[in-house]
Amino acid sequence: MSKFMNLIAAGLASGATYGVFGACLTIWFRVCNVLNLAVGDFAMLGGLGTAVLIQVHGVPLGWAIVLDLFGVGLLAYIFDRLVLHFAFDRGRSEHGIVSVFFYTFGLSLAIEGGALLLFGSDLRAAPTLWSGQALHILDFNIERPAVLVIALAIVSGTALWLYLRFTVSGRAASACGESLIGARIAGIDSAKFRRWIFIMTAVLAALFGVLESPIIGFTVQTGPTISLLGVVAAGFAGFRRPGKAVVVGLLIGLAEALIQGYVSISNGDVILYGALFSVIIFRPSVLGLSALA
Amino acid sequence: MTIAPEEALSLVDSAEAPHSRLHRFVYGSAAASRRDPVPVATALFIAVAGTALVVGLNGQYFGTVVGFALAYSIVAIGMVVQLGYAKQLAFSQTVFMGVGAYGTGILETKYNFDTAETVVCVLLIGFVSSLVIGSIVTRAPGLALALATLLLPLFVSTYLGNSNYFGSFTGILNINPLWGTISNYNNAMTQTSVIAVLFLAIVTFAALRVMRSGVGLQLMAMSEDERLAAGLGTSLRQRRLEVFVFGSVVATLGGIVLASAQGDATYFLVAESAQITLLIILFVPGRKNVLAVIGGAILVEYLSTSSDFMSTNLATFEAIVLVVILLIEPNGFVALVARIYRFGYSKLRPPKSGAPAPYEEVTE
Repeated sequence: MSKFMNLIAAGLASGATYGVFGACLTIWFRVCNVLNLAVGDFAMLGGLGTAVLIQVHGVPLGWAIVLDLFGVGLLAYIFDRLVLHFAFDRGRSEHGIVSVFFYTFGLSLAIEGGALLLFGSDLRAAPTLWSGQALHILDFNIERPAVLVIALAIVSGTALWLYLRFTVSGRAASACGESLIGARIAGIDSAKFRRWIFIMTAVLAALFGVLESPIIGFTVQTGPTISLLGVVAAGFAGFRRPGKAVVVGLLIGLAEALIQGYVSISNGDVILYGALFSVIIFRPSVLGLSALA
Repeated sequence: MTIAPEEALSLVDSAEAPHSRLHRFVYGSAAASRRDPVPVATALFIAVAGTALVVGLNGQYFGTVVGFALAYSIVAIGMVVQLGYAKQLAFSQTVFMGVGAYGTGILETKYNFDTAETVVCVLLIGFVSSLVIGSIVTRAPGLALALATLLLPLFVSTYLGNSNYFGSFTGILNINPLWGTISNYNNAMTQTSVIAVLFLAIVTFAALRVMRSGVGLQLMAMSEDERLAAGLGTSLRQRRLEVFVFGSVVATLGGIVLASAQGDATYFLVAESAQITLLIILFVPGRKNVLAVIGGAILVEYLSTSSDFMSTNLATFEAIVLVVILLIEPNGFVALVARIYRFGYSKLRPPKSGAPAPYEEVTE
């Protein structure tokens, strides 16, 4: 029983990663029908940037986090003004395959390269925000940073769901994704929503990186690896529902931990990816993607 | 190239003509082959220029640039048809490169097949496996296909890295060159590269024949509007599967070339980083232009080994170039050059007064 509960705790912690990335991806896709493939790289900038500011430059923890999040937000803003603005607002882009994937794919590669120059290739971790011994609840132990990560996933997923579901601003943001021209006729500034939600998700991912890096440690190549399952979680939420993306992310994390615990440690990921692949292929309706096909 | 609607429709209809598809694919209809020498001429150009280049290099760059450049060129030409032309969102090319490379390694080192037998058998394995996988994955709509094929390299590379049968992290070593013995390295690599150039020419011919035929027009129609294509009588499912199999078999061939040129097959060539390199090679030079992607593959592989600074920062440069090119001209560098040329030409040579208006202006 103890093993099972500990696997559940580990699964929730890793699932929170996929959930947060899934939520960030879905809300931005809902606004502008573009996948943010750089979301994992923003998280990497959060974790590594904070670690370097503290360990190399001696900046206090609180200021390091603030400076790092501000830097990530500024980077997202500059990318929007320099690239996304021209691609989507000035009609310079060919919509479809290029716009859906490749602008943010380019950003992801550029961030990775820039981070390699700035931070080097070492494994680094920001200091934990909640230090101390692992919490012992009922029959399982859970590290304190993992509690923060799970809490961030649940809070951010819930907040994004509430924003989209119950606020006028959230509905306006959704309208931009449903019909850009319709939204503009109704007086909605689609560029503003695209920009601010892009910045908000970048900062959220960076904050997540600050919380997650003490658990697993980050290198410059961490971003794309951990964000890929976020893309899958977002896919299972139809790229539209951030709350569902968090739930799916947590479920994927649980499945991963249980398979590794009870079936095979070395081939756990293979079985998980195979299972997800099978679901996507044989039950594509669960993705809710028919409208996007 | 401007095609009148009636001509487009007749070409689409001709794709379903009752005589042998293989015959039509290789030779084209008599009229079409007279009008369109481009596939044969391009393939001949690649065969002659490529052979001259690899013979002229005389062993230089063979361990690094040439093998990767030729292999990635072959794979990228399959992607021109699959991703660039038909816009099929499949990211499984590295998996089939893995089929080619590991298939070659296993048949040669564990079952003592000779090179010719290995190439034929591995291509057959690639064909059958792509047919089986393709018949499943091409049923997935739009982004679901992209998602599924993004997962494929992930779990295949993880499995290969863990499997003792496939050599786990070190992979399969001591794979023979395509022609010659490794004891005479320079000769073997030159001969292997010549064979690879011939493969490249054949693949280029096939890709151009597909794109410039009635089937190519059907694929173009599908990429723009699937309902329209279905309305014109295109079998969407069949065409999707054909495109997937074409891209996958070509990627298998690329894997064979890479394993033979490098002498090993490791799980790195299946990983996401290899897929990213292929996407850069496709999208920056021009996703619909076979010569451009060959040039792109050579340039990327050359730059990756040209200096420490360049190899360290190549991904950053590639990313910046990718974003800038896509922003200015989504069809890539070649289309940008063509646009600049047309702009300059129109400024220098204004149309004569009284000249007949171009066809498209009349129809519009």
